[in-house]
Formats: sequence, C-alpha cells, structure tokens
Amino acid sequence: MRTGDYKQTYGELVALVDSPPVWLWSAVLVLALIVAPHVLNSYALSFLIIILITVTGALGLNILTGYTGLISLGHVGFLVTGSYAYAILVSKYHLPPLVGFLGAGVVPALASLIVGAPSLRLKGLYLAITTLAFSFIINTVILEMRWLTNGARGIAVPRPEIFGISFDGDAAFTYLCLGIAILTLLATLNIRRSRIGRAFVAIRDNDIAAPVMGINLHAYKLLAFVTSAFITGIAGALYGIYLSFVSVEGFPFLLSIEALAILIVGGLGSTLGAVLGTILIVLLPEATRLVFSLFSAQMDAMFTTGAQELKSMLYGLVIILFLRFQPRGLVGAWHDIRRTWVHWPLRY
Amino acid sequence: MTALLTVENLSKRFGGLQAVADVNLSVAAGEICSVIGPNGAGKTTLFNMISGVLRPSGGRIVYDGIDLKTLSPWRYAAAGIGRTFQNLALFKHGTVVENILTGRHTHLRSNVFDAVIFFGRTRKEEVAARQRVEHIIEFLEIEHIRDAVVGTLSYGQQKRVELARALACEPKILLLDEMVSGMNQEETEDIARFVLDIRDELGITVLMIEHEMRIVMDISDRVHVLNFGRKIAEGTPDDVKRDPAVAEAYLGRQRAETLARAGA
Repeated sequence: MRTGDYKQTYGELVALVDSPPVWLWSAVLVLALIVAPHVLNSYALSFLIIILITVTGALGLNILTGYTGLISLGHVGFLVTGSYAYAILVSKYHLPPLVGFLGAGVVPALASLIVGAPSLRLKGLYLAITTLAFSFIINTVILEMRWLTNGARGIAVPRPEIFGISFDGDAAFTYLCLGIAILTLLATLNIRRSRIGRAFVAIRDNDIAAPVMGINLHAYKLLAFVTSAFITGIAGALYGIYLSFVSVEGFPFLLSIEALAILIVGGLGSTLGAVLGTILIVLLPEATRLVFSLFSAQMDAMFTTGAQELKSMLYGLVIILFLRFQPRGLVGAWHDIRRTWVHWPLRY
Repeated sequence: MTALLTVENLSKRFGGLQAVADVNLSVAAGEICSVIGPNGAGKTTLFNMISGVLRPSGGRIVYDGIDLKTLSPWRYAAAGIGRTFQNLALFKHGTVVENILTGRHTHLRSNVFDAVIFFGRTRKEEVAARQRVEHIIEFLEIEHIRDAVVGTLSYGQQKRVELARALACEPKILLLDEMVSGMNQEETEDIARFVLDIRDELGITVLMIEHEMRIVMDISDRVHVLNFGRKIAEGTPDDVKRDPAVAEAYLGRQRAETLARAGA
C-alpha cells in the first residue's frame, strides 16, 4: 500500500506520471481504445471518432483559454482553415497526406499570427469579438476565392494513405485519430509542465507579476494563440477527412460554442477536464435524444429535424448548470469523489 | 562602493496628481536600503517605476550602468531586478513549487518545440530548475508547504512564497514592498533574518519599503524618507531618527516641535 509520496531524484519530481497505478490504467485505456474499433458497431464507432477529433480541437483551445486565460469565440475559423488547407494540398495539388497535415497546422497558425498580432493587445471581451469576426471573415474569404477553394461547392477529401498504410476503413481511420489525439495530449501536457506553460499560466493568473518574472506578455500571448491555432487546424483536417467533404456549411459557428462548453464543463485550465468535457458534450445530444425517444416517436423526429437548434439550447443549459452548481467542472467533481473515496469513513 | 542603482530627478504624474516628484537616490551594491514615508508618499509608485510596472513621466533610472528607459520592462528581470508586491501578486492557482519555478523563467532556454518533446536538454534544464527551487525552499524554510496551492496559504506564508519567487529570478537587486505588514512579531523577525541572509549569503542588494520601524532601524544601512512624492531626508537610521523634517512628516508640525523641545 502506498503510504506516502517518496521521491529520490529530482527527475521524478518533473515526471508526467509519478504513480504506477496511473501508468497501468492509462495503458489499459489505450489498449481498450485499440480493441474498440473491432468490437464496436459502426454507429458507436462514429461517436468514438468524433470524440477523438473533438478532443484534439478542445486541447488546442485549452492552451489559449484554459492555460493562458484568453477567450476565443472564433476557433471554428481555425478549424475550417485547417480542413481547407489539407483538402487543397491533398485533393487539389495531390501532395502526400503528411504534407497536408503539416499545412493544416501551419496555415491556421499563420492566420492566427495575422489576427493575433493586433488583437492580443486587447483584453477579455475585445479579443473574443475580434476572433468572432475572424471566423466570419474567413468563411467569406473561402467562398470568394473560388479558384482555390471551389467556393460554395466545397472539395471532396479522400481518406489518406500514409507510409503505405491505408486509413480508408473506419477502424483504420479511428487509429489515425487516436494517434493524433494521444500525441496532442502528450504535447499539451509537456507544454504545461515546461517554462512555456508556466508563462501561459502566469499571464492568466497575474498579468502584472508575469512581466516582472521576465515574461514578455505580448510574445507569449501570441505564442499561445499560434500554438492553439496549429492544433485546432489539425483537428480541422481530421474532421474534413471524416466528413470526406469540406465546405463552409460543414463548420457552423456552433462549433466554437461547443468548444467553449467543453472547456467549461470539463474544468477550465485542466487537460483532463478537456478530455472529460469532450466526452460529455459529444454524447449529450445523442443521450438526450435517446431519452426523449423513449417517450414518443414524435420527439425523436423533432431531434432529427431541429438538431442544430436543440444542440445550441443544450450547450447553453449545461454551461449555465455547470457554472451554477459545479464551477470547477467535471475535473473538480472527480477530485471531490477521489477525496471522499480516500478519506471515507474517517476524515483523517 | 559603486552605485548599483541610481535614480535621478524621477517623477511620475497621474493626471493632476504628482505621485513622485524629482526624487534622487542611489543604492550601493551590497547595501540594505529602506524607503520610508507616510501613506501616499509615493513609495510604491517609485518601486513600480524601478521594476518596470510603470513608466516614469520624467527623470531617469540607471541600473548597473544601463538607462532603464532603453530596456523593455519584461527584460528587467533578466537584467537582475527582482521584486515582491505589497498586495500579493502570486499565481494563485499554482502550487508553491510552481510559483517559484515561474521565477526561473529567464534562466531557462527551451522554446515551444523543445517543450512539446520534453526530452534531453529540456528535461535536464527542468530538473536543474526544480533542484534550484528546492534550495530556495530550504533557504526560506517553507518545506512543509511546498506542494500547497498558493491560494490556500496564510498571508504571511504567501509573502514568503513571493520572496522565494523573487529569489528564483537570481536578482542583483531585490525590491521588497512592505514584506512584514500584517505579520506578527515572530514572522517579522524571521523576515528580518532572511533579508540579512539574502544580503550576506547570496550577495543581493536590497531596497525595501517598510512601515515597521523596528526592522528599518535595525537592519538598514541607509534610509530614504519620502513625503508627498518628494524626498525629505536620507542618511543612516540614526540620522533619520533625529531629523526634524521626518518627525514633522510623520507626526505633524506642532507635535514634532513639542517633542523637539522636550528632547532639548
């Protein structure tokens, strides 16, 4: 039994995971996810794929909103930029998918540089508004640049083949999404425990003390913005591949709200929270539909016709309920449960 | 001894309010200097200008041969200016260790790509930083709270964490803004001992704002007195204690004169 937290080297103090049980359970989870595509039916598998893609995007936004404390309402703009960058590079210019993924990160990162350089001097609500404006402007740009983007007609995107491995089938594509989601998770965790992550959090927690520690506020805000856009763009490319077709309509503004809802529901600033939040928010509309369909077929039909409207109402409702009853999000609830579990029935 | 920090005709104006007016002072390397004065005398504004939180309206600050006007404020830390804040400016969601690690920022080199991979040089660097933090924790005797979230600590402990964070920057000059306000006798004496150790063992020059006269008189080499934004006196603690202008600033003219007559 573990009775204390004993460490013998400084290396153990900066380790990502410091307890064997956490290693074990993480390995079990990854194994389960590897087996899942062969066990689940295609209906359940589609949710797994959406969750993995959404986790990648949510982790991207988490760097900006969770770590650095800057609100973006326009992340769907980076999502759509990333998906178009991939589609254009791969479908139009027949470049290898890996180049496509790189482009899907770099192009939104460049876009974020252009949006961020002037607007990151603004704070709070003003940044939210400029990013919101960006997400609408980018849609118009895509619709107008017909020679490159096919305008409103969109671009068909094939499932990729990387190093001779075809990711055509749903199971194989799940592995691609899983791989990218895990890499993103590790990348953001590593950023968080480095000087870069500490600088982000310092800016969020106290922007007067941060420069006194030698942190260049403007440069680090921009870095958070660019990193966030890069990761979100990659999620966008995956989403485009999953839909097998990119168009402006495929990326409604609601996705920006969904991403923020994920972070609030999961617990702002927490990487685990972003993952838990994604699972809840992705499954919530479907779970609600299932519950209502038990009552009548009419309700079920309502959910199919008005899916977008009902989704936005649901997100609004969960955000309000969480802010009121569990402001620390799912990750806060998880910590409470763990504490109760450890200390019950005696507090000390 | 050479002057590490020289402030020349420094002024700060907020609209119609002259917060600091034509202040001159110099701090020699290895000194412990105090800035005292009644509330609203402009002491914190002076500190804010020296640490780059505010830009001066007039005059100049020369630190270690550099005119600070030529330096972006965020570069002050790397140049060797560290400070603590009067009203606690910690990163309150982080643990004590994380807060102190943030102070190591300018001494670490890894960029975002290194950070993502977190291997080799970056990992070595982080381990070294963590080790350094452990030394500072030991120095300031805060081992027992090292993993606590800063927001949950008492005021006195948070002040000490702030001091630790400032020390992690490895400054050449440390600006301490009212370290012992709201502390009890024992905590105050601890801080006085730490300030002496910081100068004697770590070789850091200290400039402090302090209301607690016992600590000012006991450990300062020089004392500068501000009132209404102007400097009214400077000297050794004993000089300042006897200065009639200082007594007047603190007690008012009438009472100061009565005291002077009684003393004579």
